[in-house]
Amino acid sequence: MTTKEEYARGKKVKVGVTDLTKCYDELLVLDDINFEIYDGEMLCIVGPTGCGKTTFLNTLARFIPATRGDILVDGTPSDPRRHNIAFVFQEVSSIPWLSVEDNIRFGLRIKRLPADEIERRVETMLELVGLKPFRRNFPQELSSSMEQRVVIARNFALNPDLLLMDEPYGQLDIKLRYYLEDELIRIWNELKSTVLFVTHNIEEAVYLGQRILVLSNKPAKIKEEIIVDLPRPRKFDDPEFVKIREHVTESIRWW
Amino acid sequence: MIASGFFKKGSKLFLPLLSVAVCLSIWEVLHLIIGGDFLPSPYQVFKEGLRMFSVKIGGNTVWVHIYYSLRRVVIAYLLGAVTGLPLGMYMGWNRTFDKVVKPVFEVLRPIPPIAWIPIAILWLGIGEGPKIFICYVGAFVIFVLNAYTGMRYTDPLLIAAARTYGASRRQQLFNVAIPASLPSVFAGVQNALSMSWMCVLAAELVGAREGVGYLIIQGMDMYKPPMIMVGMIIIGIIGASLAVTLRWFERLVCPWRRDLT
Repeated sequence: MTTKEEYARGKKVKVGVTDLTKCYDELLVLDDINFEIYDGEMLCIVGPTGCGKTTFLNTLARFIPATRGDILVDGTPSDPRRHNIAFVFQEVSSIPWLSVEDNIRFGLRIKRLPADEIERRVETMLELVGLKPFRRNFPQELSSSMEQRVVIARNFALNPDLLLMDEPYGQLDIKLRYYLEDELIRIWNELKSTVLFVTHNIEEAVYLGQRILVLSNKPAKIKEEIIVDLPRPRKFDDPEFVKIREHVTESIRWW
Repeated sequence: MIASGFFKKGSKLFLPLLSVAVCLSIWEVLHLIIGGDFLPSPYQVFKEGLRMFSVKIGGNTVWVHIYYSLRRVVIAYLLGAVTGLPLGMYMGWNRTFDKVVKPVFEVLRPIPPIAWIPIAILWLGIGEGPKIFICYVGAFVIFVLNAYTGMRYTDPLLIAAARTYGASRRQQLFNVAIPASLPSVFAGVQNALSMSWMCVLAAELVGAREGVGYLIIQGMDMYKPPMIMVGMIIIGIIGASLAVTLRWFERLVCPWRRDLT
């Protein structure tokens, strides 16, 4: 198995989180969380239900202020105005009054990118997610898995410094999920974005992640860090895959 | 056989025609039972309609009366939109402003526009002023309410999505909240116009010299039930045409809702 030192060798730290703590009054939700995300990494976070995953993501996205601790992107404190932090929510957040292509333009326009750059990226993303034939459709004319792909395209189009994904496939049936997970790997390989993927599905985490962080029950701490050095495409029934999956399952138990 | 084929093919046209025919028959029967002056027959009303469109009533043709009523409605309606929509949207957007304005608005809201007639006449005299004012009150309240609801029910997820991209408050407002509120605003745009059309007639029943409401009052003063009914039918037809025009306009402005309407 690859050790942490071997894994980190030659990798550049993209996001550094130190002593991240969040309290709601007396209630401690995040307790001294420390970790790094490397440039271009696919990092999965798993944890038991109700362990504070949502708070964790919201703090990372700067939706809610941290009680203590720092989040550094490229060495400077993270700031939505300066850094590109993208967020794929659990619920589909496509914008109903914009066509598929305008949905992809949405974030780029808010960022005020030059028009020709926006067009270039929209074309690339439409190609990558295969939504070209549907570019002028409105989201509700598509199936919900296609809608989620629109949202994913919209977020990857930003070339985000960090892409946060909060169980984006949680509500899809298993066949579509497999398909979209493969698509995610493909886009990620193509664009080399840094992705933090939160899920409660252990199999999904082992399938996608280069590295998995296991969160403990509330207050959330990082309980374990697991490096998944399996080649891709990964196979669910590969003994190595099963071994890692069982290891994560064991680690996640808190009783 | 022929009838059923006709029924299927032409049902788009056939059913509405059938419904009109049935209504007219019931009307005719009621006229025969109740009798004479009280409830004129459809034919008498039709004849009266032809007469009214060919003579001047109170110095103006029917078209001019319609023009007067519509002018009052349009002025009041536009004023209502210009003042009501921004106010409602701002109430929905800014919590502090909402808390300040809401109590006052909640008290004013249930007062029916017609209840403003006496005070409007006291304040604005008996010219165009009070009539436009009454229509304005009716339209304004609906504009405010719908803009407010539209803003208030903007999906917080979409605001959050815009925030992750670093959208400023202003960008969140113009790129998310306002477009999100449009369907609700448009429901208001239609209701406000109907309301303001209803109010103009109420306002014209009190001391107007022109307008569709005046036609009805003339009919009453001259004890001519057919004239009253012609006036009522004109009101209905114009009201319906206004609604249809706006629905068409909505489809133009909110194309993403085309499958829902």
